[in-house]
Amino acid sequence: MDHSVTTSLLYLDGVSVSFDGYKALRGLSLTLAPGEMRAIIGPNGAGKTTMMDVITGKTRPDEGDVLFGGTHDLTKLDEAQIAELGIGRKFQKPTVFESQSVDDNLLLALKAPRGALATLFGKPAPDTRLRIDQILETTRLKDHRHRMAADLSHGQKQWLEIGMLLAQDPKLLLVDEPVAGMTDAETAQTAELLRAIAVDHSVVVVEHDMTFVRDLGVKVTVLHEGAVLAEGPLDVVSADPRVIEVYLGR
Amino acid sequence: MTRYAQGRAPARVQAISLQSQARNRFIETFSLLLAAAFVLMAALLIAPKARAQSPTDVLTYLTTDRFPDTERALNEIGTSGLATAPQIVEALAANRLLFDAAARKLYFADESGALFDAATGAPAAGISPDDLKRVRLNNAVRRSLNAARGALTLMSPDPARRRAAAEAVFKSRDASALPLVESALEKESTPAIRKKLEEARAAIIAADASAPEARRLESLETLKERGDQDALGTLATIAAASEGRVKTSAEAGVAAIQSRLAMWRNVQNVWYGLSLGSVLLLAAIGLAITFGVMGVINMAHGEMVMLGAYTTFVVQEWARTNHPELMNYSLFIAIPLAFLVTGAVGIFIERVVIRFLYGRPLETLLATFGISLILQQAVRTIFGANNREVSAPAFMSGSFDFGALSIGYGRMWIIVFAMAVFAALLFVLRATSFGLRMRAVTQNRRMASSMGIDTNRIDALAFGLGSGIAGMAGVALSQIDNVSPNLGQSYIIDSFMVVVFGGVGNLWGTLLGALTLGVANKFLEPVAGAVLGKILLLVFIILFIQKRPRGLFALKGRAVEA
Amino acid sequence: MNPATDRLIDTRGYIFLAVLSAAAVLVPILTLVIPDESAFAMPPYLVALFGKYLCFALLAVALDLVWGYCGILSLGHGAFFALGGYAMGMYLMRQIGTRGVYAHPVLPDFMVFLNWKELPVAWWGFQSFPYAMAMVLLIPGLLAFIFGWLAFRSRVTGVYLSIITQAMTYALMLAFFRNDMGFGGNNGLTDFKDLLGFNVQATETRVALFVASCIALGGGYLVARAVVTSKFGKVVIAIRDAESRTRFLGYRVETYKLAVFVLSAMMAGLAGALYVPQVGIINPGEFSPANSIEAVIWVAVGGRGTLVGAALGAFMVNWGKTFFTGALPEYWLFALGGLFVLVTLFMPKGVIGLIDQYKVRRASKKPTAEG
Ligand SMILES: Nc1ncnc2c1ncn2[C@@H]1O[C@H](COP(=O)(O)OP(=O)(O)O)[C@@H](O)[C@H]1O
Ligand SMILES: [Mg+2]
Repeated sequence: MDHSVTTSLLYLDGVSVSFDGYKALRGLSLTLAPGEMRAIIGPNGAGKTTMMDVITGKTRPDEGDVLFGGTHDLTKLDEAQIAELGIGRKFQKPTVFESQSVDDNLLLALKAPRGALATLFGKPAPDTRLRIDQILETTRLKDHRHRMAADLSHGQKQWLEIGMLLAQDPKLLLVDEPVAGMTDAETAQTAELLRAIAVDHSVVVVEHDMTFVRDLGVKVTVLHEGAVLAEGPLDVVSADPRVIEVYLGR
Repeated sequence: MTRYAQGRAPARVQAISLQSQARNRFIETFSLLLAAAFVLMAALLIAPKARAQSPTDVLTYLTTDRFPDTERALNEIGTSGLATAPQIVEALAANRLLFDAAARKLYFADESGALFDAATGAPAAGISPDDLKRVRLNNAVRRSLNAARGALTLMSPDPARRRAAAEAVFKSRDASALPLVESALEKESTPAIRKKLEEARAAIIAADASAPEARRLESLETLKERGDQDALGTLATIAAASEGRVKTSAEAGVAAIQSRLAMWRNVQNVWYGLSLGSVLLLAAIGLAITFGVMGVINMAHGEMVMLGAYTTFVVQEWARTNHPELMNYSLFIAIPLAFLVTGAVGIFIERVVIRFLYGRPLETLLATFGISLILQQAVRTIFGANNREVSAPAFMSGSFDFGALSIGYGRMWIIVFAMAVFAALLFVLRATSFGLRMRAVTQNRRMASSMGIDTNRIDALAFGLGSGIAGMAGVALSQIDNVSPNLGQSYIIDSFMVVVFGGVGNLWGTLLGALTLGVANKFLEPVAGAVLGKILLLVFIILFIQKRPRGLFALKGRAVEA
Repeated sequence: MNPATDRLIDTRGYIFLAVLSAAAVLVPILTLVIPDESAFAMPPYLVALFGKYLCFALLAVALDLVWGYCGILSLGHGAFFALGGYAMGMYLMRQIGTRGVYAHPVLPDFMVFLNWKELPVAWWGFQSFPYAMAMVLLIPGLLAFIFGWLAFRSRVTGVYLSIITQAMTYALMLAFFRNDMGFGGNNGLTDFKDLLGFNVQATETRVALFVASCIALGGGYLVARAVVTSKFGKVVIAIRDAESRTRFLGYRVETYKLAVFVLSAMMAGLAGALYVPQVGIINPGEFSPANSIEAVIWVAVGGRGTLVGAALGAFMVNWGKTFFTGALPEYWLFALGGLFVLVTLFMPKGVIGLIDQYKVRRASKKPTAEG
């Protein structure tokens, strides 16, 4: 195994996925260093969400390697096992547990034993309350803690989902279009939040919103038709004629 | 005719002369045969009065009230040339043959009790049945009686009766019928019946221990060729009763027929399986459509089938009372009508109930179950709880032979009908704009809706289509099952299994699922019994969805996962 | 995490348990203590009738646990109920001993009739009450385990799962109809004589069974409640609302579903076991798919995901059934069918939902009326 493989937290090599003949990913390769935050952009249908599906075990690749922490072959594990390894995900469409309170949503996400016996008979860890309070603070949901998640606004749901991601305390966060449907102010706050998270986590953010990506100020990977088109700082990438063509040319 | 008798007879005489009794019988029958031949020819030209002596003998034997005499009379009556022989035999079979012991005269009564002179067939005036005795039967007599009936019909002008008679002789292997068979063969011109007669002759000769070995072996070959269950029985009996080469040959024949029959049994299983499968296909395909398009299971689907069957019943009753000439064609009225009736009921249900439960498939399941209860009870209230009779039109009854297989027209037409419906549906889905829209909604409802497809309308129409097909399934089912309020219930779970097995969203999956389950069912039935076979299939399907949770032909894609 | 909803027994639960306790105390008094002539005396047939309702209520609670909280619409819970019933029936059959028609000391009548010489292995041990009671829980639990393991592992969900559960109970029905299964075939098990030495027909035994049913229902409710108010329960609800999201949080959805399914099946088995001595017979008809669906409508009528509602619904629907089949038998199926349609269309949260709605409306009206 290559040296660079073992040191990168996430390693995708030659990953291909097809749906009924349609190739959503065509030999996608990508590596993410520990502690790195990466923004992924690309036109609709470029395969960004599919890439996250592959990493989290929702979709099995037809070919290619997906390694986590240099040792774990993610293509052999199921969703729960991958989550337990420390990969958390925020979905493009916010999915929270609608009929449960904000508190309970966070409790469910909070890092703790996931087994049925543990949840049935186990006592919650002593710092449970405290950690939930912290997250509520960070995500500005403190006043809504007893509300049903279904009653939250769209932006609040996005934040709740990010909060759940924080509660999971994963090594790697996959965040799919976190600012879709947010106001400018909320977008800026989210960028700030993600930067704070990135201090001690690795993060992959998928987003269309260029101002938001600029706000993040990290290395950018451009996906196009299921493969990497360009990679580098946003300014460099956005000057690349191929990227311009992909975004504007059609 | 004479050439045949002379050509064959010397060989027979030689062979049989060793056993005098048999020879006597042979000579007796031979002469009778000759006489019969004469008479038959003469009968065409001269009045039936001119007879050899035997007819009166026959009549006399029947008046002695002794079983052996009766038997003897019956053995000879076929060749006696007696014009009234059929009536006499039939009357005896029906216990209406009477005699006057003193006058030695024989009479037969018809069904109304009127008496006729057995010798002439003329009405017997002035005779009271009370003065007469009945000719009695015992088992031995009955056997001869049957042989006589068979012999008499061998020459009947009706081909169907000749054929049946030849079969009867084949089964009885009654040696005394041989001369008759031979003479019938002389006359017979229909090849199929000739074949039957030859087989009958072969059966007699092969079973006859006194016949020359070469002829017996030759006859065994004929039996082997026939190769059906009856031939098998005959060969097995011969094998058990004989020795030497005949035994070996018969045993080889048994083995050959058994393997041939085993092969045909498989063919038959496939055929029955296809027939069951096509019924399942009809019942399940509408279910698959609504499930595919709307993601809902219509628990009242079975009741749509039932409504279709009752539509058939109503149409037939209407034809019976108003247009009897249409009776044979009432199915052709019932098919479109059932489609319309159940389709309309389906659309009504969709508009009034299911539409409001969109996105809640489990609730839809419950609501449609409620509807199924209401429909069942409604039909029970209107038509009563008992089975209703739907008769089969002429073209659906009867059967024809295919190899060792008897293929019923009913089953055959149902298979044809199912395939026709399937093809029509395929066409509708592939080649019409409604089909295109429906497929679009099946694959991705939201996308279809944003492309301007009125998904509400498609839902209603799809539901109507599915229900309408169920109604047509009901028409087919009315031909093979009891029309009762529970009709739908007996098919619904099987239909579900077809859908689960075949997957939704692809008609070919339903076709394959239905036929596979039908055939598997029929192959399991003889091995495990009908009930256990069914249980095994259910268990199999439960295990099958392990491997393919969404059936053989699953729809893939995000829309499905959501 | 939410003190208001996480309490083991909420207000509704207190009312429910109070009613149950009252019934457990009053019914014995009304039947056994009060003289028969009194206007308050309760005839024994009513005791058995209400006892039967209690068993149905327990079945409904079990079903609510899987459907209301975990989103598994089982159309085969009647099978677990019937299996529990058969286990109890087998114990009762073995108690008959030489009092049967053929007076065989070991073999039940139907086996003698079928010319069997030996007791089938499946029947061994059922003369012992503790063993039989263990089987009442274990057999339905085992079936649920095997079935659930197969189904949940391959992620069969929704309507597919419902259909498959229906096929399960249907297959069992066919199987139990067979004589050579060794469970009495068509006729099932009946002609019971005594239970733990007490005559099953005696009024005292009926009252005792009634009280036992009350306790079982109360106990079943408390167990179910303990489960759904724990963190485990929250995971289960999360699975109901967003199964794949729960997976991405690292929960093994299959394990959770399996645990709930097995627990629920055991409760259903217990309900069946209490049901059989009170009605005096168990036959393969109990496996019929229609029975299982009917149980679902009890839950829907009462209000799923509320437990108390399920029990309430079982009482109401069965009371209605008793009434209709007595007074207007022709119309029972119309009524039941209509109930299915109306409840799903207009009362998605059942009677309990209506009560809650009414409360909310009252609460929101009050301040305006005063101010
Ligand atoms: N489960 C699936 N079934 C069929 N097609 C899919 C599926 N998932 C993704 N696709 C297709 O793959 C392509 C990439 O999709 P996606 O990864 O969602 O793009 P992005 O997130 O970059 O917009 C799209 O054309 C999409 O339709
Ligand atoms: Mg996307």
